[in-house]
Order: sequence, then structure tokens, then C-alpha cells
Amino acid sequence: MSPAWFQNLPVTLRVPVVTATLMIVLGLVASQGVLTALRRVQDARLVETAQLHVEGLSVALGPFVLRQDVWEVYDILERAQAASGGQRLLQTVVADERGRVLAAGDPKRAPVGSEIGTYEAGAVGPEAVTMTGDPVLRVMSPLKYQGRDVGRIVTELDVTDLLAERRQASLWLLFGNAAATVVLTFAGWLAVARILRPVGTLVRAMDATEGVPRPIAEADIPRGDPGLARLITTYNRMTTAVEARAEAERRLAERERFVSLGRLSSSLAHEINNPLGGLLNAADTIVTYADRPEVVRESGNLMLRGLKHMRDVARAILDQNRMDRTGQPLMAVDFEDLRLLFEPEVASREQTLDWRIAAGDATLAALLATPVRQVTLNLLLNASEAAGIGGRVGLSVTNGADVLSISVEDTGNGLGPDHLARLLSSGPLPPGGGVGLRLAHDIVVGLNGQISHTRIDGATVIRVDLPAPVPS
Amino acid sequence: MHCTRRVFLAGSCVLAAPFVHAQSLSTVRFALTPVFLDNDADVISALQSALSEGMGRDIDLVQRRTYQEITGALLDGSVDAAWTCGYPFLQHESELSLLGVPVWNGQPLYQSYLIAAADDPAQDLGGLRGGTHAFSDPDSNSGFLVTASDLAGLGESPETFFSRTIFTFGHRNVVRAVAGGLTRSGSVDGYVWEVLSKVEPELTVRSRIIARSEWLGFPPFVARADRSRDPVVEACTSALLGLSETQSGRAALALLFLDGVVRAVPSLFDGIAERMAILKGNP
Repeated sequence: MSPAWFQNLPVTLRVPVVTATLMIVLGLVASQGVLTALRRVQDARLVETAQLHVEGLSVALGPFVLRQDVWEVYDILERAQAASGGQRLLQTVVADERGRVLAAGDPKRAPVGSEIGTYEAGAVGPEAVTMTGDPVLRVMSPLKYQGRDVGRIVTELDVTDLLAERRQASLWLLFGNAAATVVLTFAGWLAVARILRPVGTLVRAMDATEGVPRPIAEADIPRGDPGLARLITTYNRMTTAVEARAEAERRLAERERFVSLGRLSSSLAHEINNPLGGLLNAADTIVTYADRPEVVRESGNLMLRGLKHMRDVARAILDQNRMDRTGQPLMAVDFEDLRLLFEPEVASREQTLDWRIAAGDATLAALLATPVRQVTLNLLLNASEAAGIGGRVGLSVTNGADVLSISVEDTGNGLGPDHLARLLSSGPLPPGGGVGLRLAHDIVVGLNGQISHTRIDGATVIRVDLPAPVPS
Repeated sequence: MHCTRRVFLAGSCVLAAPFVHAQSLSTVRFALTPVFLDNDADVISALQSALSEGMGRDIDLVQRRTYQEITGALLDGSVDAAWTCGYPFLQHESELSLLGVPVWNGQPLYQSYLIAAADDPAQDLGGLRGGTHAFSDPDSNSGFLVTASDLAGLGESPETFFSRTIFTFGHRNVVRAVAGGLTRSGSVDGYVWEVLSKVEPELTVRSRIIARSEWLGFPPFVARADRSRDPVVEACTSALLGLSETQSGRAALALLFLDGVVRAVPSLFDGIAERMAILKGNP
């Protein structure tokens, strides 16, 4: 799994980063190979030097070690050291067969007669000498003369130059690889940036639009790259589809207002039909008893009440559907209109309605009437349907500090998962079902509000909190 | 034409005479001990040229490792003359005769130096007890006899006084051994040390003179006593004594930092004889 920061990088940076990483890994592997080969060569040189040194000294020193001639041993060591220029051979200590030092190239470090054991610490045979990182390596070998061991020889080899050579090789490899990585990474970035320029255009087109994907102009489609051209063409088709979908949703939302009214139509028709019968009776009475003023007056009053009721219902329906009310502030009368529209629905199901509007006018006025009415009506219709025959439906509108809370309660069996998904989330809708709850959700989200759902004592409570900043 | 031929023949004879003379004389064999400046080929070459010119005959400079070998070669006739040391001369005084003695700083005398490393705290011979010591040659006066006789005077011997002694068979080697730290101290020819301090100061600067002996007879040139009248030996003597009078001789002497060679009598080496007596337990 790549880290989050990497995933957040643009693809034009990610590819060079991956290239650089691969280059570094390749450089490390190659460098390791070179250094291993160098170490092998240096070890071979060391073994050769050590063996030549020890063998040469064995031949020269043999008779003098046998005679324990301190001076001759020292003289040979000093001359051998001078001949080597003192560059590789740092110190050679020669001891007799009992391990007592006969002479050393630097007698102050290895006095005559001292034990050679001190200098044998960490020493290896000339055939086994290898670079350990220590600038001084010790080689130990028995001194043979005429087929028998007559003493021992310990040589300190100065490998500072070899270590410096390796360090220099490492540095060159490091700088070389770093330079190659930087150059190739930059070249990779340039190439990838050029190759992915259309992708960048695509990303910008997707990002730099206010929620609406913008199609890419035909001229910007790279015809030379069939894959990318196909991708951008597909994207352009997708943007058209998104636009179409957004338009459909917008129309659906408009239609939903009519749908909710449609759902009320039968009860509303009943609401109009009932007074209409009374009105007809009153009119018939007036016609029949036109000469009786008290009857005419009473019938006239009856007609007046019926007509007023019909006028109120008609106004509420008109208010619910009038497009020119968009932008008007919410008022308490809007909830009265809703009650007028909703009560017949409650009555038709023999339900009990608890209606409590306790919000202050200032809070109400901070919100627009149309979306709040739509949300409230949708939730009430849903609650009435859920509560069933003889159920109970309640509306409570209260206000807090800069917030309007609308709670719709019903005694139904509760919302199913599909309904909850429609009401509480913005995810894709499962096929089938209405759009009322989703429309309510979308409107609330659009008003920066929140919807919560609780189930208390067998009742379902859907609460909508809308921010309503009251101007001070 | 005849006249010209006679003149040419006569001239040829004159010019060829020295070659005929040189070819007719046997080569002189002259022994040198590497106790002296053994590393300087220029010195040996210059000495060879000077002696050869002085004697009018070819000279073969023979080098041996020890005084013992030189003395042996001299006594068995392998060499005609030798530059040796006063101590072996006195050891074989009856069989050897003095040809001459080099003059150094105006006198045919030199000293033995007791040296130690430049940073050694010892102030005298007693302070070197228990250390390692480098001698030059068991038959060397300055490189052995002086220190050994001093120790004998103290009732000691090199073997008991020092933890270990070595022979380097060269005065320069003694200085190398001390300067390089191989031994703590050494007995060295004072003349050699002084010359080295001029030609190889980087070597002597790492050593310090702890004690100087009395002035003793400089290492002499000797030949077998029974051949003292031998023309070869006489020629050798006159060549040595005349070194300071020829250009090549002066060049050789300059390289050796010597003034010349003078005749000497055995009494010059009485000081060495006294030390020999001390060593033998007869002071």
C-alpha cells in the first residue's frame, strides 16, 4: 500500500518519483556489485602482497632466525621496509620458535625479547587476509627454514590507501548514481508531464467546475494517443450524461411538489366536495325559500362559510405551487397552510394530529418558505402513510440559537433500510421507490442542515435542524 | 718515411711503458673492515684509486665482515695489508707491523662513545644497566673493548650488566640499532659517529653521547711483520703516507674526513693495551 502523501501527488510527479526510486534501487544494486568486485580485487592484491612478503622474508630471515642473530634480522626487516617505501608494510615482527621477539621493523613497538603473542591478536594467515574496514591488518605465518619452523613472523599491512580507494569508489558511485538519478528523474518528469498533459487537462476539467463536469474541447483531445483520446471522449460523453441527470433531478424536484399535492388530491377533492354539497343545499334552500329572509340569511351565511373554506384550501394549494413565491421568507402562516393541506389526509386515515408551532418569527424569517414547506410536507405525508389507520402524527417546530428544528413524529413501524438510505445519505438510490424522502434530504443538505432519525417509545421521530442565523 | 716510423715506434714504446709496467706487477690486495663507513661506495672507490695511483699498481680492496676475518686473511697471506683496529693489532702485535696511522683532527687519536637513544634518561654507563646494548665487533677497541673493560673495572661483564647484547659488525650499524630503538645503548667509534653526524645527521640526531673514553690510538694500517721489507708492503706504506700529497689521495682523505696518514709506533696504542689488561683481570 502506497502512503497517503504519495497517492495525493499528481500523476506527473508520481511517475518520476517511481522512476527515481527504481533508479536508486538499481544504483544501489549496481554499486554493491562494483564494490564487491573491488573488494575481491583488493583482497587478491592483499593476499598476493602478504604471501610474497612472508615468503620473501622467510627465505632471507631463515638462517639468521635459526642463529638468533638479532642485528641481521633487524637489518633485513629495515631494508625490506625501506624497499617497500613504508607504504604497505607498516611493521614486521619476527620471533624465535619460543615466541620471543628477535627483532621488529619498529623495535620501539616490539622490543627485543618481548612476547610476540601481543602482536598476533587478530592476525590471520597470508592466504586468508581480507579487507575488514580496519586500516591496519595483521598477517601471521610460521617461519620455515630447511623444512622446519624456526620462528614466527607477524606483519602489519597498512591498507589505508585501499580503504581510501574503496571510499573514493563509493563516493563516485554515489555521486554518479545521484546525478544519473536526478537527470533521469527530471527527464522522466518532463516526458511524463508531456505525455500526461491531456490527463492534466482532464483532471482540471473535472476539478475546476462548480460541481458540474465540464467537457473538454475537441481541439484539446490528443488524436495521436488513441487510449487517451478514447478516455477523453468517454469523459465528454459522461459530462453530457451528468448534465442530463442533473436536469432530470431538477425537473423531478419541481414535479415532486405536484406529486405531493397529487397525493393530497383525493382528500382535497373531498374537502372541496363536502362544502360543495352544503353550498348546493343552501343555494337550493335560498331558491326554494326566497321569500323567507331568515332562511335566506342563514343559508347565505352557510354558503359564505363554505366558500371561505374553499377559498383557503385553494389559496394553500396555490401557495404550494406558485413559482413566484420562491425567495419569500418563511412565516408561521406557511405552517398553517400546510396544516390546511395535510389535515384532510389525516382525517381520511382517522389519525390524530399533534401540531405545535413554537418557533419565533425572526428565526422563521431567516429561512426561505418554499424549501422548508416542501421538506415539512414530504415528511408529514411520509409520516401519515407510515402511521396507518388510526395512528398518530405530530409536527413540532421550535427554534434554538440560530437554528430551526422541525420534528415529525409518527406511530408507524419505523423506516426501512431503503427509506433511511433515501433520507439520511447521498449515496446512489436503489431502484424503485419514490423520491420524496431523497428530495427532502437533498433540500436539507442544500440548506446546510442536518437530518437525524430516532425511534422513541414506538414512535419514529425525524428531526431536521436548519441553520437560521437571526440578524442582530 | 723511415724517420717517421722510428719516431712512432719510439713514441709508442714510451706511451706503452706504464701499461707494460703495471701489467708486469702483481695486484695488491688491501683489506678493509666494514666497521668503517661500509655503506659508502664512493669512499671505497676513491681510496682504491688513490692507493692504486700511489703504488703504481692495481689494488684490490677486500672487504670482510669482522676483524677476525681480516686478521686471519692478513696472517694467512690472503691479503698484503689491512686497515684494522688497534685492539686486533695488539692481539697479534708480534706478527704484525704498523704501516701508518690516520690523522683525524690533527692527531692520530680517537675516542670510543657510549651512546643511547636521544630521549634516554641515562647519564652514564651505570644508568644503562639491564638494557640491551649493541657492540660493533668483539675485536673492536671502541666498539667493544672500551665498554667491556669499563664494566670489568666495575666487576661486571656485558652479559651480566646488560639484559642482552648484540654485535652489529659495523659502527654505523651500532648507531642505527640505537637510533632505531633496537637496543637501548651502544658502543661506537667516536670518529665514525662524528663523521656520521656530518653526512647523516638524521641518524645521529636520534642518539645521544652518554660517555666518551680517553683518547686512544686511531685504527692503524698494518701488514704482516715478516713481510715488512716486501716491496709490495713498502709501496703500500709509501702510498698511504703520501695520500695527502696527491690529488686523488686528498680527495679520498676528504671523503674520510681525515687529514692524512703518519708513521706510528706501537706505544700509540698503550691505552688500548691497558684496557686489554683490565679485561683480562690484570690492571
